[in-house]
Amino acid sequence: MPHPISKMIIKWWQGLGVGQNLLLTMGALVICCLLMPLRLPGMTLMEVAPNWLLIWLICWSLNRPVVLAIVAGISIGLVQDSLTIPAEFMHLSPSHTWGMALTAGLTALLQKQRYIKENFISIALIVFAMTIIAETMIAIQLSFLGFDLSEVWAKQQQITLISALLTSLWTPVVYFPLSKWW
Amino acid sequence: MIDTLRRWWLRYASQLFLVVVGLILAILLRHNHGTVWLEAYQWLSRPFQRPYDPQVVLETAKLRELSYRLQELESQNAQLRRMLQLPTVLNGSPLWAQVIGRSADSWWQQVLISKGARDGVKVGSIVTGTGGLVGRVTEVSAHGSRVLLISDPSSQVGSALTRSRALGILRGQSLSTGVMEFIDRDPDAKVGDIVTTSAFSTLFPEGIPIGKIRSIDLNHQPAPEAVIDFSAPLSMLEFVQVYAPSHF
Repeated sequence: MPHPISKMIIKWWQGLGVGQNLLLTMGALVICCLLMPLRLPGMTLMEVAPNWLLIWLICWSLNRPVVLAIVAGISIGLVQDSLTIPAEFMHLSPSHTWGMALTAGLTALLQKQRYIKENFISIALIVFAMTIIAETMIAIQLSFLGFDLSEVWAKQQQITLISALLTSLWTPVVYFPLSKWW
Repeated sequence: MIDTLRRWWLRYASQLFLVVVGLILAILLRHNHGTVWLEAYQWLSRPFQRPYDPQVVLETAKLRELSYRLQELESQNAQLRRMLQLPTVLNGSPLWAQVIGRSADSWWQQVLISKGARDGVKVGSIVTGTGGLVGRVTEVSAHGSRVLLISDPSSQVGSALTRSRALGILRGQSLSTGVMEFIDRDPDAKVGDIVTTSAFSTLFPEGIPIGKIRSIDLNHQPAPEAVIDFSAPLSMLEFVQVYAPSHF
Protein backbone atom coordinates (compact mmCIF):
# COMPACT_ATOMS: atom_id res chain seq x y z
CA MET A 1 0.00 0.00 0.00
CA PRO A 2 1.89 3.11 -1.18
CA HIS A 3 1.79 6.23 0.88
CA PRO A 4 -0.83 8.74 -0.36
CA ILE A 5 1.81 11.41 -0.92
CA SER A 6 4.03 9.13 -3.00
CA LYS A 7 0.92 8.05 -4.93
CA MET A 8 0.21 11.71 -5.56
CA ILE A 9 3.76 12.27 -6.81
CA ILE A 10 3.56 9.27 -9.15
CA LYS A 11 0.21 10.47 -10.47
CA TRP A 12 1.60 13.98 -10.98
CA TRP A 13 4.67 12.57 -12.76
CA GLN A 14 2.51 10.43 -15.07
CA GLY A 15 0.23 13.39 -15.70
CA LEU A 16 3.14 15.54 -16.81
CA GLY A 17 3.58 13.67 -20.12
CA VAL A 18 5.62 15.88 -22.43
CA GLY A 19 6.59 18.03 -19.45
CA GLN A 20 8.42 15.05 -17.99
CA ASN A 21 10.85 14.90 -20.86
CA LEU A 22 11.44 18.64 -20.65
CA LEU A 23 11.96 18.49 -16.90
CA LEU A 24 14.50 15.70 -17.14
CA THR A 25 16.36 17.32 -20.03
CA MET A 26 16.50 20.69 -18.30
CA GLY A 27 17.38 19.07 -14.98
CA ALA A 28 20.36 17.33 -16.58
CA LEU A 29 21.39 20.61 -18.21
CA VAL A 30 21.24 22.52 -14.91
CA ILE A 31 23.30 19.81 -13.21
CA CYS A 32 25.88 20.02 -16.02
CA CYS A 33 26.06 23.82 -15.60
CA LEU A 34 26.63 23.46 -11.87
CA LEU A 35 29.32 20.83 -12.46
CA MET A 36 31.34 23.21 -14.65
CA PRO A 37 33.11 25.23 -11.89
CA LEU A 38 33.64 22.13 -9.76
CA ARG A 39 37.15 20.71 -9.40
CA LEU A 40 37.16 17.45 -7.52
CA PRO A 41 40.46 15.71 -6.88
CA GLY A 42 40.95 13.12 -9.57
CA MET A 43 38.56 14.84 -11.96
CA THR A 44 41.12 17.33 -13.26
CA LEU A 45 44.36 16.97 -15.16
CA MET A 46 46.80 19.90 -15.18
CA GLU A 47 44.05 22.26 -14.00
CA VAL A 48 41.76 21.28 -16.89
CA ALA A 49 38.32 19.85 -16.12
CA PRO A 50 35.81 17.98 -18.31
CA ASN A 51 33.41 20.08 -20.37
CA TRP A 52 30.05 18.81 -19.05
CA LEU A 53 27.97 21.18 -21.16
CA LEU A 54 29.55 19.84 -24.34
CA ILE A 55 28.76 16.25 -23.28
CA TRP A 56 25.13 17.21 -22.71
CA LEU A 57 24.95 18.97 -26.06
CA ILE A 58 26.44 16.04 -27.99
CA CYS A 59 24.09 13.59 -26.27
CA TRP A 60 21.12 15.79 -27.06
CA SER A 61 22.10 16.42 -30.69
CA LEU A 62 22.66 12.76 -31.60
CA ASN A 63 19.18 12.05 -32.91
CA ARG A 64 17.95 15.53 -33.77
CA PRO A 65 17.59 17.50 -36.99
CA VAL A 66 20.67 19.56 -37.83
CA VAL A 67 18.87 22.91 -37.58
CA LEU A 68 17.54 22.15 -34.11
CA ALA A 69 20.97 20.97 -33.01
CA ILE A 70 22.59 24.19 -34.22
CA VAL A 71 20.05 26.32 -32.35
CA ALA A 72 20.62 24.24 -29.22
CA GLY A 73 24.39 24.65 -29.73
CA ILE A 74 24.04 28.43 -29.87
CA SER A 75 21.96 28.40 -26.68
CA ILE A 76 24.43 26.20 -24.84
CA GLY A 77 27.27 28.43 -26.04
CA LEU A 78 25.46 31.47 -24.63
CA VAL A 79 24.92 29.62 -21.36
CA GLN A 80 28.64 28.86 -21.08
CA ASP A 81 29.44 32.49 -21.95
CA SER A 82 27.26 33.54 -19.05
CA LEU A 83 29.19 31.17 -16.79
CA THR A 84 32.60 32.48 -17.78
CA ILE A 85 32.90 35.91 -19.42
CA PRO A 86 33.11 38.87 -17.01
CA ALA A 87 30.69 41.70 -17.83
CA GLU A 88 33.44 44.20 -18.61
CA PHE A 89 34.98 41.90 -21.25
CA MET A 90 31.67 40.91 -22.89
CA HIS A 91 32.56 42.42 -26.28
CA LEU A 92 36.25 41.57 -26.31
CA SER A 93 36.10 37.88 -25.51
CA PRO A 94 35.77 34.75 -27.60
CA SER A 95 32.27 33.33 -27.47
CA HIS A 96 31.54 29.66 -26.94
CA THR A 97 28.56 29.85 -29.33
CA TRP A 98 30.60 29.22 -32.51
CA GLY A 99 32.23 26.06 -31.25
CA MET A 100 29.06 24.73 -29.67
CA ALA A 101 26.89 25.41 -32.74
CA LEU A 102 29.45 23.80 -35.04
CA THR A 103 29.90 20.69 -32.91
CA ALA A 104 26.15 20.24 -32.38
CA GLY A 105 25.51 20.59 -36.11
CA LEU A 106 28.27 18.14 -37.00
CA THR A 107 27.04 15.62 -34.44
CA ALA A 108 23.49 15.76 -35.80
CA LEU A 109 24.87 15.35 -39.32
CA LEU A 110 26.98 12.32 -38.35
CA GLN A 111 24.13 10.41 -36.80
CA LYS A 112 21.69 11.24 -39.58
CA GLN A 113 23.94 9.54 -42.08
CA ARG A 114 23.95 6.44 -39.85
CA TYR A 115 27.64 5.94 -40.34
CA ILE A 116 28.19 5.24 -36.68
CA LYS A 117 26.44 2.75 -34.47
CA GLU A 118 25.22 4.07 -31.15
CA ASN A 119 27.35 2.78 -28.28
CA PHE A 120 29.54 4.17 -25.53
CA ILE A 121 32.77 3.88 -27.48
CA SER A 122 31.50 5.70 -30.56
CA ILE A 123 29.84 8.42 -28.45
CA ALA A 124 33.08 8.90 -26.52
CA LEU A 125 34.98 9.16 -29.80
CA ILE A 126 32.52 11.75 -31.14
CA VAL A 127 32.87 13.77 -27.93
CA PHE A 128 36.66 13.54 -28.20
CA ALA A 129 36.64 14.97 -31.72
CA MET A 130 34.00 17.60 -30.93
CA THR A 131 35.90 18.85 -27.87
CA ILE A 132 38.94 19.42 -30.05
CA ILE A 133 36.81 21.38 -32.52
CA ALA A 134 35.11 23.45 -29.81
CA GLU A 135 38.35 24.40 -28.03
CA THR A 136 40.08 25.16 -31.35
CA MET A 137 37.25 27.56 -32.24
CA ILE A 138 38.05 29.50 -29.05
CA ALA A 139 41.74 29.60 -29.97
CA ILE A 140 40.91 30.88 -33.47
CA GLN A 141 38.77 33.66 -32.00
CA LEU A 142 41.50 34.55 -29.51
CA SER A 143 44.04 34.92 -32.33
CA PHE A 144 41.67 37.24 -34.20
CA LEU A 145 41.13 39.28 -31.05
CA GLY A 146 44.84 40.08 -30.95
CA PHE A 147 46.12 37.88 -28.14
CA ASP A 148 49.73 36.68 -28.32
CA LEU A 149 49.62 34.00 -31.04
CA SER A 150 52.37 31.76 -29.69
CA GLU A 151 50.83 31.81 -26.21
CA VAL A 152 47.33 31.09 -27.52
CA TRP A 153 48.35 28.13 -29.66
CA ALA A 154 50.66 26.64 -27.04
CA LYS A 155 47.74 26.79 -24.65
CA GLN A 156 45.36 25.47 -27.31
CA GLN A 157 47.44 22.30 -27.68
CA GLN A 158 47.47 21.66 -23.97
CA ILE A 159 43.81 22.50 -23.29
CA THR A 160 42.47 20.73 -26.37
CA LEU A 161 44.19 17.41 -25.73
CA ILE A 162 43.56 17.21 -22.00
CA SER A 163 40.01 18.51 -22.26
CA ALA A 164 39.18 16.07 -25.06
CA LEU A 165 40.61 13.17 -23.09
CA LEU A 166 38.81 14.02 -19.84
CA THR A 167 35.53 14.97 -21.47
CA SER A 168 35.29 11.81 -23.55
CA LEU A 169 36.14 9.66 -20.53
CA TRP A 170 33.33 11.23 -18.49
CA THR A 171 30.79 11.02 -21.33
CA PRO A 172 29.05 7.79 -20.20
CA VAL A 173 28.11 9.41 -16.88
CA VAL A 174 25.82 11.82 -18.74
CA TYR A 175 24.99 9.71 -21.76
CA PHE A 176 23.88 6.51 -20.03
CA PRO A 177 21.00 7.91 -17.93
CA LEU A 178 19.86 10.27 -20.67
CA SER A 179 19.92 7.65 -23.43
CA LYS A 180 17.60 5.50 -21.32
CA TRP A 181 15.09 8.31 -21.46
CA TRP A 182 15.38 9.84 -24.90
CA MET B 1 114.16 42.77 68.42
CA ILE B 2 115.29 39.98 66.16
CA ASP B 3 113.91 37.57 68.63
CA THR B 4 110.52 39.25 68.46
CA LEU B 5 110.64 39.17 64.67
CA ARG B 6 111.55 35.49 64.62
CA ARG B 7 108.72 34.64 66.92
CA TRP B 8 106.30 36.62 64.79
CA TRP B 9 107.62 34.85 61.71
CA LEU B 10 107.34 31.44 63.25
CA ARG B 11 103.84 32.21 64.31
CA TYR B 12 102.52 34.01 61.21
CA ALA B 13 104.70 32.72 58.34
CA SER B 14 102.06 30.36 56.96
CA GLN B 15 99.34 32.99 57.29
CA LEU B 16 101.52 35.61 55.62
CA PHE B 17 102.21 33.21 52.80
CA LEU B 18 98.47 32.63 52.32
CA VAL B 19 97.71 36.35 52.39
CA VAL B 20 100.36 37.04 49.75
CA VAL B 21 99.06 34.24 47.56
CA GLY B 22 95.56 35.64 48.03
CA LEU B 23 96.79 39.09 46.98
CA ILE B 24 98.47 37.71 43.88
CA LEU B 25 95.32 35.81 42.99
CA ALA B 26 93.22 38.90 43.49
CA ILE B 27 95.56 40.89 41.24
CA LEU B 28 95.37 38.19 38.61
CA LEU B 29 91.57 38.12 38.83
CA ARG B 30 91.43 41.90 38.56
CA HIS B 31 93.74 41.66 35.59
CA ASN B 32 91.43 39.12 33.90
CA HIS B 33 88.33 41.22 34.57
CA GLY B 34 86.66 38.37 36.37
CA THR B 35 86.52 35.97 33.44
CA VAL B 36 87.37 33.16 35.80
CA TRP B 37 84.17 33.78 37.72
CA LEU B 38 82.23 33.82 34.51
CA GLU B 39 83.80 30.56 33.44
CA ALA B 40 83.12 28.97 36.81
CA TYR B 41 79.54 30.22 36.85
CA GLN B 42 78.91 28.91 33.38
CA TRP B 43 80.50 25.58 34.26
CA LEU B 44 78.47 25.20 37.43
CA SER B 45 75.18 26.31 35.89
CA ARG B 46 75.56 24.07 32.87
CA PRO B 47 73.42 21.21 34.28
CA PHE B 48 70.56 23.67 34.74
CA GLN B 49 70.72 25.29 31.33
CA ARG B 50 67.93 24.35 28.93
CA PRO B 51 69.18 22.95 25.64
CA TYR B 52 67.87 24.95 22.66
CA ASP B 53 68.34 25.32 18.92
CA PRO B 54 69.89 28.76 18.53
CA GLN B 55 68.85 28.83 14.86
CA VAL B 56 65.15 28.55 15.64
CA VAL B 57 65.20 31.05 18.51
CA LEU B 58 67.08 33.58 16.45
CA GLU B 59 64.85 33.17 13.44
CA THR B 60 61.65 33.64 15.44
CA ALA B 61 63.12 36.67 17.16
CA LYS B 62 64.25 38.06 13.83
CA LEU B 63 60.80 37.50 12.37
CA ARG B 64 59.19 39.23 15.34
CA GLU B 65 61.57 42.13 15.06
CA LEU B 66 60.84 42.49 11.36
CA SER B 67 57.10 42.31 11.88
CA TYR B 68 57.30 45.04 14.59
CA ARG B 69 59.41 47.19 12.32
CA LEU B 70 56.99 46.60 9.47
CA GLN B 71 54.03 47.62 11.61
CA GLU B 72 55.87 50.77 12.64
CA LEU B 73 56.81 51.59 9.06
CA GLU B 74 53.31 50.90 7.80
CA SER B 75 51.73 53.22 10.32
CA GLN B 76 54.36 55.87 9.61
CA ASN B 77 53.76 55.45 5.92
CA ALA B 78 50.00 55.80 6.37
CA GLN B 79 50.52 58.99 8.43
CA LEU B 80 52.84 60.50 5.85
CA ARG B 81 50.42 59.63 3.08
CA ARG B 82 47.60 61.29 5.01
CA MET B 83 49.74 64.40 5.43
CA LEU B 84 50.57 64.50 1.74
CA GLN B 85 46.94 63.66 0.87
CA LEU B 86 48.02 60.71 -1.24
CA PRO B 87 45.69 57.79 -1.84
CA THR B 88 46.21 55.17 0.86
CA VAL B 89 47.50 51.69 0.22
CA LEU B 90 45.45 48.61 0.98
CA ASN B 91 44.11 48.77 4.52
CA GLY B 92 40.93 48.23 6.45
CA SER B 93 39.81 44.90 7.74
CA PRO B 94 39.56 42.24 5.04
CA LEU B 95 36.67 39.87 4.53
CA TRP B 96 37.71 36.22 4.53
CA ALA B 97 36.11 34.06 1.88
CA GLN B 98 36.42 30.43 0.87
CA VAL B 99 37.25 29.43 -2.68
CA ILE B 100 34.33 27.26 -3.78
CA GLY B 101 34.90 26.82 -7.50
CA ARG B 102 36.98 27.64 -10.51
CA SER B 103 36.38 28.83 -14.06
CA ALA B 104 33.64 27.11 -16.07
CA ASP B 105 35.97 26.53 -19.01
CA SER B 106 39.66 25.93 -19.58
CA TRP B 107 40.52 29.32 -21.05
CA TRP B 108 39.47 31.71 -18.32
CA GLN B 109 41.36 31.85 -15.03
CA GLN B 110 38.76 32.55 -12.40
CA VAL B 111 37.69 31.44 -8.95
CA LEU B 112 34.30 31.53 -7.26
CA ILE B 113 34.29 32.68 -3.64
CA SER B 114 31.74 32.22 -0.89
CA LYS B 115 31.01 35.87 -0.08
CA GLY B 116 28.75 38.15 -2.11
CA ALA B 117 26.86 41.44 -2.16
CA ARG B 118 25.14 40.64 1.16
CA ASP B 119 28.56 40.50 2.82
CA GLY B 120 29.70 43.76 1.26
CA VAL B 121 31.66 42.47 -1.75
CA LYS B 122 31.42 44.79 -4.75
CA VAL B 123 32.49 44.60 -8.37
CA GLY B 124 36.10 45.79 -8.33
CA SER B 125 36.89 44.52 -4.81
CA ILE B 126 40.53 43.51 -4.43
CA VAL B 127 41.28 39.88 -3.61
CA THR B 128 44.54 38.82 -1.97
CA GLY B 129 45.74 35.53 -0.57
CA THR B 130 48.70 34.21 1.36
CA GLY B 131 51.64 35.48 -0.65
CA GLY B 132 50.12 38.48 -2.37
CA LEU B 133 47.68 39.66 -5.01
CA VAL B 134 45.17 37.14 -6.34
CA GLY B 135 42.73 39.11 -8.48
CA ARG B 136 39.70 41.34 -8.73
CA VAL B 137 35.98 40.70 -8.31
CA THR B 138 34.17 40.91 -11.66
CA GLU B 139 30.70 39.54 -10.81
CA VAL B 140 28.73 39.58 -7.59
CA SER B 141 25.60 37.68 -6.62
CA ALA B 142 23.84 37.83 -3.26
CA HIS B 143 26.02 35.19 -1.61
CA GLY B 144 28.94 34.61 -3.97
CA SER B 145 31.31 36.34 -6.34
CA ARG B 146 33.48 35.56 -9.31
CA VAL B 147 37.12 36.67 -9.21
CA LEU B 148 39.26 37.23 -12.30
CA LEU B 149 42.71 35.95 -11.34
CA ILE B 150 45.83 37.96 -12.21
CA SER B 151 46.95 34.85 -14.10
CA ASP B 152 44.25 35.39 -16.74
CA PRO B 153 45.66 36.69 -20.06
CA SER B 154 43.02 39.44 -20.20
CA SER B 155 43.81 40.68 -16.69
CA GLN B 156 45.94 43.82 -16.78
CA VAL B 157 47.68 45.04 -13.65
CA GLY B 158 49.73 48.24 -13.51
CA SER B 159 52.89 47.06 -11.77
CA ALA B 160 56.27 48.36 -10.65
CA LEU B 161 59.61 46.96 -9.48
CA THR B 162 60.29 47.78 -5.82
CA ARG B 163 64.02 48.30 -6.38
CA SER B 164 64.13 50.60 -9.40
CA ARG B 165 60.48 51.72 -9.68
CA ALA B 166 60.47 50.59 -13.33
CA LEU B 167 56.83 50.54 -14.47
CA GLY B 168 55.00 48.00 -16.56
CA ILE B 169 51.77 46.20 -17.24
CA LEU B 170 51.36 42.64 -16.06
CA ARG B 171 49.15 40.10 -17.79
CA GLY B 172 48.65 36.47 -16.92
CA GLN B 173 50.29 33.63 -18.79
CA SER B 174 49.72 30.48 -16.76
CA LEU B 175 48.56 29.74 -13.22
CA SER B 176 52.03 30.34 -11.79
CA THR B 177 53.55 32.90 -14.16
CA GLY B 178 52.69 36.25 -15.73
CA VAL B 179 54.35 38.54 -18.25
CA MET B 180 55.29 42.11 -17.31
CA GLU B 181 55.57 44.42 -20.30
CA PHE B 182 57.78 47.40 -19.41
CA ILE B 183 56.77 50.91 -20.43
CA ASP B 184 60.38 52.09 -20.53
CA ARG B 185 62.52 51.07 -23.53
CA ASP B 186 65.49 50.28 -21.31
CA PRO B 187 64.15 49.38 -17.88
CA ASP B 188 66.38 48.90 -14.84
CA ALA B 189 65.34 45.30 -14.13
CA LYS B 190 67.21 42.28 -12.81
CA VAL B 191 66.27 38.66 -12.27
CA GLY B 192 64.95 38.34 -8.72
CA ASP B 193 63.49 41.87 -8.51
CA ILE B 194 60.22 42.07 -6.57
CA VAL B 195 57.10 43.20 -8.43
CA THR B 196 54.22 45.03 -6.72
CA THR B 197 51.15 46.94 -7.92
CA SER B 198 52.09 50.45 -8.98
CA ALA B 199 50.73 53.85 -7.98
CA PHE B 200 49.47 54.32 -11.53
CA SER B 201 47.20 51.29 -11.45
CA THR B 202 43.57 52.34 -11.71
CA LEU B 203 42.18 49.00 -10.56
CA PHE B 204 44.48 48.12 -7.67
CA PRO B 205 45.88 50.10 -4.74
CA GLU B 206 49.62 50.60 -4.63
CA GLY B 207 52.12 48.24 -3.06
CA ILE B 208 50.48 44.80 -3.03
CA PRO B 209 53.14 42.16 -3.69
CA ILE B 210 52.65 40.25 -6.95
CA GLY B 211 55.78 38.19 -7.49
CA LYS B 212 59.39 38.00 -8.52
CA ILE B 213 61.15 38.30 -11.90
CA ARG B 214 62.18 34.91 -13.26
CA SER B 215 63.64 35.95 -16.60
CA ILE B 216 63.96 39.10 -18.71
CA ASP B 217 63.84 39.59 -22.47
CA LEU B 218 65.04 43.14 -23.15
CA ASN B 219 64.99 42.68 -26.92
CA HIS B 220 61.35 41.70 -27.09
CA GLN B 221 59.23 43.74 -29.53
CA PRO B 222 57.30 45.99 -29.18
CA ALA B 223 58.36 46.37 -25.55
CA PRO B 224 60.84 44.65 -23.22
CA GLU B 225 59.24 41.84 -21.21
CA ALA B 226 59.88 39.91 -18.04
CA VAL B 227 58.40 36.62 -16.87
CA ILE B 228 57.10 36.90 -13.29
CA ASP B 229 56.60 34.08 -10.79
CA PHE B 230 53.47 34.89 -8.79
CA SER B 231 54.06 34.92 -5.05
CA ALA B 232 50.55 33.67 -4.24
CA PRO B 233 50.01 29.97 -5.04
CA LEU B 234 47.03 30.47 -7.36
CA SER B 235 46.62 26.78 -8.14
CA MET B 236 45.94 25.81 -4.54
CA LEU B 237 43.96 28.73 -3.14
CA GLU B 238 41.56 27.76 -0.37
CA PHE B 239 40.89 31.00 1.48
CA VAL B 240 41.25 34.55 0.22
CA GLN B 241 40.90 38.04 1.68
CA VAL B 242 38.57 40.54 0.01
CA TYR B 243 39.13 44.29 0.40
CA ALA B 244 36.49 46.86 -0.49
CA PRO B 245 37.41 48.96 -3.54
CA SER B 246 36.57 52.24 -1.76
CA HIS B 247 39.89 52.29 0.08
CA PHE B 248 41.76 54.02 -2.70
